Amino acid sequence: MVDAANTVTPDRQRVELAALSAPAVLFTLAMIAFPLAYTVWLGFHAFSSTGRQSFTGLGNYSKLIADTEFWHGLWVTLALYLLSLVLQLVLGIWLAMLLFNAKRLPGIVRSLFISPFMMPPVVAGLMWLVILDPSLGAANYILQAAGLPPSDWLASPIWVIPTIALIDTWQWAPYVALIVLGGLQSLPASVYEAAQIDGASAFTTFRRITLPLLLPTIVTAVILRSVDLLRFFDIIYITTQGGPGNASNTLNIYGFRVGFEFFNIGYASALMLTLTVIVFGVVLAFNRLRGAVAW
Amino acid sequence: MAAISIRNLVKRYGNLTVVPDLSLEIADQEFVVFVGPSGCGKSTLLRIIAGLEPITSGELLIGDKRVNGVPAAQRDIAMVFQDYALYPHMRVYDNMAFALELRGMPKPEIDARVRQAAAMLHIEAYLDRKPKELSGGQRQRVAMGRAIVRNPQVFLFDEPLSNLDAKLRAQVRAEIKSLSLQLRTTMVFVTHDQIEAMTMADRIVVLQNGIVQQYDTPEMVYERPANQFVAGFIGSPTMNFFPVELRDDVAAFAHDGTPVPLDAAARARLKGAAGKGVLGVRPEHFDVVASGATSAIAVVIRLVEPLGSDTLIHFEVAGTSAIARVDPSMKPKVGERLLMLPQPDKIHLFDAASGQVLR
Repeated sequence: MVDAANTVTPDRQRVELAALSAPAVLFTLAMIAFPLAYTVWLGFHAFSSTGRQSFTGLGNYSKLIADTEFWHGLWVTLALYLLSLVLQLVLGIWLAMLLFNAKRLPGIVRSLFISPFMMPPVVAGLMWLVILDPSLGAANYILQAAGLPPSDWLASPIWVIPTIALIDTWQWAPYVALIVLGGLQSLPASVYEAAQIDGASAFTTFRRITLPLLLPTIVTAVILRSVDLLRFFDIIYITTQGGPGNASNTLNIYGFRVGFEFFNIGYASALMLTLTVIVFGVVLAFNRLRGAVAW
Repeated sequence: MAAISIRNLVKRYGNLTVVPDLSLEIADQEFVVFVGPSGCGKSTLLRIIAGLEPITSGELLIGDKRVNGVPAAQRDIAMVFQDYALYPHMRVYDNMAFALELRGMPKPEIDARVRQAAAMLHIEAYLDRKPKELSGGQRQRVAMGRAIVRNPQVFLFDEPLSNLDAKLRAQVRAEIKSLSLQLRTTMVFVTHDQIEAMTMADRIVVLQNGIVQQYDTPEMVYERPANQFVAGFIGSPTMNFFPVELRDDVAAFAHDGTPVPLDAAARARLKGAAGKGVLGVRPEHFDVVASGATSAIAVVIRLVEPLGSDTLIHFEVAGTSAIARVDPSMKPKVGERLLMLPQPDKIHLFDAASGQVLR
């Protein structure tokens, strides 16, 4: 016998589902949809110094196309992104292989290896400012001790991007290593034994077996780092504020300055939305690639 | 093609001795199956032959060559793994061609070999697919194809059928057997399934705790087991064992003194073991006899398992659970009383202490 009181009608089920999912929906609306929609709205407006707003349509976007600082910011963003990503992938994979093969490494050493990304960016930025100080820093002391000329590091328009990329790599390559290590540990051991019997050398095994099998994991790491790198802000702001001159003025830094130093909120919103579209585009492209390299 | 010689082989992992001292000769072109329960050392032994595990001490020869420290790739062996170990990112063709490419073989020859092996295993249609697009049986064939293309001296199989369902297992089992007849290459096959061992092997190595319990043909292992372990391991359902003893020259169950119908020769074997032993009777070696037979053992059926081709009946004899295989036309019923008689020429007697067969 079916107990009528316990029977769930489709209507009641619908109400229950709505009630259960409401907190998540409200949270998403309040924390994601509203800020995004508000930024879109801001992007279509101009604000005067007295706070008066006026609708400009696509005015902010047409201004952006003609803005050389925007194109410079985009170039700096992409250069920093590509350089950091390549360095972090190469070092991350190498570090992961090292940790994977060093089975007897004590847990504390493994933890130390991966600790940089746990450090707050402000602390990391300040620490590197001291290390890279042209006259007092340890970096130039080491260069000179090795008989090499000192560098201006963050003060050099040529070296500022590679230097920031190195700082970010120091902090985030261990994170990539951790992801790749997880991938390595999930690879089937018997495949390596089969390769051993087939006569593959260590290098061939890495190139023909490990690397292709790790590709989905590596692409996941690329997606995570891409999102962070394209929106890179904290370390740059702490170390250079976009300088020297505008040498490290990424889109994010440029947008921040336009919005909070020049109080041009409408144009800053247009800049940030453009950056968001770029981030989305990159993530979507890599997501497709992840599907293509899945095995 | 090559013979394999294992001489006084010892394998230890730290303080744990997996193989204490093992010697074995596998003839050229022979199909030998290592069988035994989990942890008996059979897979370790296979991996030692493959070169995937180092030897602690002793000697291993493939052909005339001592291969103790020789890397796996230089032993001219091919191995089929339990989980197939196919390269998941490569097409079937590339999986099969990989080892040949690494040897620097010309492409036309690689192509010819891959296609020939694929035809032999009926996997030509799958050469462009990736392993994930294949069923378990097809993957198993690809794994065998990858081994065949190399034309090795020795094929090693590490429980390759254990991931297949029962029907497919029987089919692939037959295919491997016919392949062995076709290729005439030395094959070593590891399994815990005694049916696989019985159906495929020229000779079976029964292992327990890294010690060879018996190394003989399937018929001999089945009909003349060397000890109680082999007798219990080979055969399904397993052999029934009953502790027996001689009481005033009359054989009786040790549990309750019920007389056991054993002939004079069997009693003599028991006498040679201080009058005590273990009687072994395979389920198919019980005869159900007419009610007038005075020497028969009276039993009450506790459980009936009809298998179609025959029927298993469970009963208790002298405090020990036992199984007999009977003709399904008998239509036995639970609770029915029967008189059973072990076939005198098919019984086995083992030493109660050592488990060795009493001859």
